[in-house]
Amino acid sequence: MNLTELLENSARRWPQKTAFVEDSSEISYAALAGKNNFFAEKLKSLRLPAGARVGLCFPNSVNYVALTYALWKINAIVVPVPTECPAEELSEIAATMELAAILSQKPSAQSEPLAPEIFVSRFKLAATPDNHGLNIAFIRFTSGTTNARKGVVLCHETVRARVAAANQAFQITEHDTVIWCLPMAHHFLITIVLYLNAGATVVLARHLTARPFLEAVNRWRGTVLYAAPFHFSLLARDNSGAQIDSVRLAVATTCALPQNVAEDFFRRFGQPLVPALGIIELGLVAINIDDPRGRWNSVGKPLADFRVKIISPDEHGVGEIAVAGPGICDAYAAPWQSRENLLRDGWFITGDLGKMDAEGFLFLLSRKTAVINLAGRKVFPEEIESVLNRHPSVAESRVFGRLHPQLGEVVEAEIVLSAENGGIENLSHFCREHLAAYKIPARFHVVPALPRTPATGKIRRAPAAA
Amino acid sequence: MIQPSEIEAELLAFLRRDIFSPETNLTADTDLVAAGFDSMSLVKLLLHVETKYGRWIPESEITNEALASVHTLAATAAKVLNEK
Repeated sequence: MNLTELLENSARRWPQKTAFVEDSSEISYAALAGKNNFFAEKLKSLRLPAGARVGLCFPNSVNYVALTYALWKINAIVVPVPTECPAEELSEIAATMELAAILSQKPSAQSEPLAPEIFVSRFKLAATPDNHGLNIAFIRFTSGTTNARKGVVLCHETVRARVAAANQAFQITEHDTVIWCLPMAHHFLITIVLYLNAGATVVLARHLTARPFLEAVNRWRGTVLYAAPFHFSLLARDNSGAQIDSVRLAVATTCALPQNVAEDFFRRFGQPLVPALGIIELGLVAINIDDPRGRWNSVGKPLADFRVKIISPDEHGVGEIAVAGPGICDAYAAPWQSRENLLRDGWFITGDLGKMDAEGFLFLLSRKTAVINLAGRKVFPEEIESVLNRHPSVAESRVFGRLHPQLGEVVEAEIVLSAENGGIENLSHFCREHLAAYKIPARFHVVPALPRTPATGKIRRAPAAA
Repeated sequence: MIQPSEIEAELLAFLRRDIFSPETNLTADTDLVAAGFDSMSLVKLLLHVETKYGRWIPESEITNEALASVHTLAATAAKVLNEK
C-alpha cells in the first residue's frame, strides 16, 4: 500500500473539486495529482534507491504537498525539516537520519535546481540505511533522552490507520473547507493527508493578523479551523465584528488550551474551541467534541478505536497515561527500536500524567514527555540544552515549558553557571547560531543547581510550570 | 514614560539578533512581512516585549498597519506600554 494511491483516488473521485487555495488561486484535485506526477518524474532522475530518506525543507505550499506525495510515489521516505533550521542543524539532521538528499525551496551552496523553485542537495552515504524491511512513509525526528535525535518511523499502512481513526472524530468530507495556518513541517498526517483523502478543500492562510484571516474564512466559507491557542487568541481579540458562521469545528491543538483563550473565543464568536490531544508516536488520541464548553480543560474522550488507561493512580486518580490503538508508530529510527520494544504489553506509555473522570473524559495534568509546543511548533528541551551546555559560561541547563495565558506554553531555561563564568548576555545570540529562532528560550534563569531524580541522578524533567 | 525611539532600538536589536539573518539589512523602515517576518516571528517578538517590559501587547493591537515596519511596531508598543 502506498499513500499516493489515496491522493490518486481523490483525484479520480473529485477531479474538478478544489484541493487547495494558495494566494487566492484554486488548484483542483486533478491539477494536484498532475503536479504530483510531474515531480515524481523529476525525482526519478535522481535515481534514489527505494527506501532512501529525503529531507523536505519547504514553507507551507502546494509544492510541499505535491513533493511529499511524489516522494512516496518513488518509494522514498519523507523526513520533514523545518525551514527555520540553521545550516548546522540541517547537516546534523542529514547525518543522523542518513538522508540521501534534501529538497528545499531556497538554493544552498551545494544544491542543484530540480524544477522551478525546487533545489536538491545530495549527500554521499556509505550505505543505504537499514529500514528493517518496513514500508516506511515518514520519519519525524524528535529528541531522545540523551542528546541524540530519534526519529518516529511511520509506515504507509500506519498513516492510513491513523487517518481513518482520526476522521471518525473529525468527520471531514468533501463538503468541508479547512482554513490552514500551522506549519506543515510540524503537522501533516492526521491533517493534510486526512483532508485530501476526504476530498476537502484546504485554504493556505498566510495571514499574520486576525482581520485578513477572518476575511479568508468568510470568502472561502471555511468549515474547519485547526490551529494553536495563539492563533485563536489573535482571532478572539479581533474587534472588526466579523463572524465565522460557516465554521462547524474549531480545534485547538498542540498544547494546553488556556482558559481565557477558550472563554474569549466563545464570547467573540459564540463557538467553543475543541481541545484535542495528539502525540507524535500515536496520532490523534482524544478530542473533546462532546463537552468543550463544560469541560474546556479536558482533551475529551479517547477516539473510538483507542483504549486509554491510567497506570498506578494516586488517591486523586492521577497517574501515567498509557494508550493502545491504531496507528502507533512502527519504530524509532536512531538508534533503531522496533514497535515491540517501545510498547509494554501492547500499551504505549506516554509519560504524561493525567486522570479520567467518571464519564471517560481525559484530563492532561502534566506532560512528562518534555516536548514543548510554541504556537504550533514542537520544541525538544534536550536539543536546546545540548547547545546551551556548549556555552563556556554554562555548567549545565534545563529547558522547560512555562504556561502562558495567550500562547499556552513558552520555552524558558534554567542555567547553572560554570566556574569560568564570563556572563550569559550573549546566550541568545549563541543559540541563534545553532538553533532555529523559535527554539531560543524567552528567558534564562540562573539557578544554583538543577533538580535531579534521587535514583538515577538524571535531571528531573519539569512539567509545564505556571 | 518609555520613548518610542528607545523601543525601536530595542526591537531592531532583537529582530537582528534572534529573527532575521545578517544578510537582511534590517532598518526601522524595512517592510517586515516582505523580509520574511512570519507568525512565529510575531510570537517571538510579543514574548520579547513581555519579557523586557512586563506587558503583553494585546492581540487587538496586532493590525497590518502595526506590522508594517519596526517603526510602526515600536509606536504600537510604546502606546500600549505607556497606558496606565
